[in-house]
Amino acid sequence: MSKKLKVVSAAAGIVLATTALAVLPATAAVNASTASSAASFGGLDNLIKAAKKEGALNLIATPRDWANYGDAMDIMTKAFGIKINSDNPDGSSAQEIAAIRTTKNMDKMPDVVDIGLSHVAEGAGLFANYRVQTWNSIPKAWKSPVGNWYGGYTGSIALCYDSSVTPAPTSIAGLDNPAYKGMFAIQGDPTAAQQALISVFAVAVAKGGSVKNIQPGIDFFHKLKASGIFVPVTANATAFASGSFKIDLTWDYNVTGFIAQAKTIGKTVKCTYPKDALVAGTPYVLAINKTAPHPAAARLWEELMFSMKNGKLAADLTAADLALPGSQLFSLVMGGQNVYISGGASPITVASMTDKVSPPTALIVPTGLPQSVLPSLAQQTVATNILKTAWPKI
Amino acid sequence: MSQTITKRTDAPKPGVGPLHFANRLGSLKSLIPLLPFFAFIAYFLVFPLTFIFRDAFLSNDGKFTFENFAQCFQGVYGHSFYVSIRLSIISAAIGAVAGALIASAIVKTGTRSRRAVAATASVLANTGGVPLAFMFLAGFGTEGLVTKALKALGWNIYGGSFTLFSASGIILVYSFFQIPLMVLIYSPALENVKPEWREASDSLGGNRLTYFLRITVPLLFPAFLSTALLLFANSFSAYATARAMTSGTLPLMPLLIGNLVDGNVIANQEHLGHAMAVCMVGVSIIVMSIYLLVLKFSKVKR
Repeated sequence: MSKKLKVVSAAAGIVLATTALAVLPATAAVNASTASSAASFGGLDNLIKAAKKEGALNLIATPRDWANYGDAMDIMTKAFGIKINSDNPDGSSAQEIAAIRTTKNMDKMPDVVDIGLSHVAEGAGLFANYRVQTWNSIPKAWKSPVGNWYGGYTGSIALCYDSSVTPAPTSIAGLDNPAYKGMFAIQGDPTAAQQALISVFAVAVAKGGSVKNIQPGIDFFHKLKASGIFVPVTANATAFASGSFKIDLTWDYNVTGFIAQAKTIGKTVKCTYPKDALVAGTPYVLAINKTAPHPAAARLWEELMFSMKNGKLAADLTAADLALPGSQLFSLVMGGQNVYISGGASPITVASMTDKVSPPTALIVPTGLPQSVLPSLAQQTVATNILKTAWPKI
Repeated sequence: MSQTITKRTDAPKPGVGPLHFANRLGSLKSLIPLLPFFAFIAYFLVFPLTFIFRDAFLSNDGKFTFENFAQCFQGVYGHSFYVSIRLSIISAAIGAVAGALIASAIVKTGTRSRRAVAATASVLANTGGVPLAFMFLAGFGTEGLVTKALKALGWNIYGGSFTLFSASGIILVYSFFQIPLMVLIYSPALENVKPEWREASDSLGGNRLTYFLRITVPLLFPAFLSTALLLFANSFSAYATARAMTSGTLPLMPLLIGNLVDGNVIANQEHLGHAMAVCMVGVSIIVMSIYLLVLKFSKVKR
């Protein structure tokens, strides 16, 4: 054996040994259900390996066209070979928590949830402590110190209308135009849907109220209902197709999906931010089920959704890309935070993101938008209690 | 037990003890095919009801309390009793009267048309939920087909105070399934009224009014009332249609319960929702008791 070869083999031996030292204890001892970061697995590569081995991820109440989740699901499947089982896509936060409680020890139990901030307190005990790699980029206000939940994204209220509506609405205050009779709707009951609740806040802000004073919003809804402009249907694609409404307030990140659905029935929908109110919601929270049937896949999903990388979507991944080692492939794909942006949502780490994709062009951003306001959870609770009594009387 | 059976086959004595017992055993045996039904009722009715009753008396930290029930009768929750019961009474009354009239008209026609009506009614009676709401929105909404057609004919149904999205709108929509349900269930009772009775009444000197008041009404009243109460329960518990058409602008009990136990906004109030559900069960029990009392009374009178 030549001296050179000896050195190489010795070096290889050392590398192998150190790798083994680093990897073996981790893979042998790590319990994915209690892993509190990628480091608990011995790095992202091992987390990905463990997730691949599980091969599936149970999502709940996560529609493909909500905040562009479909793109993230496709990346998960194509890049990491993880099959997505999507249960009850149109479910609510309360149903997500109920599902964790009632499906104990079942294979179909949700691995991760996406819930409204209002339901965090109720579910906190059910969630696992796990800190994603981008943990420090998540603002303190929107994460629990132990890491059992953190906000993922939020949105603001946009104004959408059928292109046939004249004059085209540009502000909330201008919705009292008699030409809009029987046309205006919001996303359901504000004491049941956060989207509707924040819409009432937006109307309040536009009519001289504030996050602390929702009354002007209630008064304006009363006026719009009395004049037949406000139609109390849930402003979804089906109701739109039946002609039940032509103007609505909605999360900006659901605008792209709505425009696409309207297109399938030959309608053109235009969306913009109302020029008299820019109101954001408290973030939607992502959390891992403590007893997730696919604990590693659940943790990989969180890593993906909080990755700030700007990269490839599933359709753009080549065979060569897919052959890359796990962590390299992870760096190559589009991170969830950018997936949210391309769906029109505002990701939680937006302040720290250095490489952002552009938001969807469908949403018209008027110049001179007012300062964005965000009602706190406490303010939302106060408003909900007022609305419980006031809404049935509008 | 097997001994008893052997005894029976050995010495069958009609009318005495062992056979009596065997009869009872036989009737027990005849219940066996019903076991799936009992299992169904136990799992989908008794089991959830037990949990709701228990939860209604618990606070969020699992302690026994009456607080949930106290809240049930306050504010919007208390008001919802009035709104729900009132809407259900009106809807049941309209459905029962209109349905009974249609049913008596149909019974007088031939068998073939009766069959056709029965088939249609059973389809319509089962139309509900969100599809029904959208049917009416597409037809009678502000941009609906019927609305537009009537407008073209010179009648703007939205010219006055009419709106589909109010209690009266909901009652109109509910009539779509309430009337056919009445026709469906009430017709068989009508068919039992024999023409001979009319002849007997006539020959005893009765006129149309006495026949109606002293024969038809006492005979058919229990059937009419029981169907009307079924219609009441039907609209009292309806959820999806009203939810799709009101978005909470009409405080109906099932919708409020839905918001308490479900949704993205109100958290940690499931127990109040369960207490409300128990109250709904209570209303149903009261209604059933009234029905049983009336039934008893009408039997005594006969």
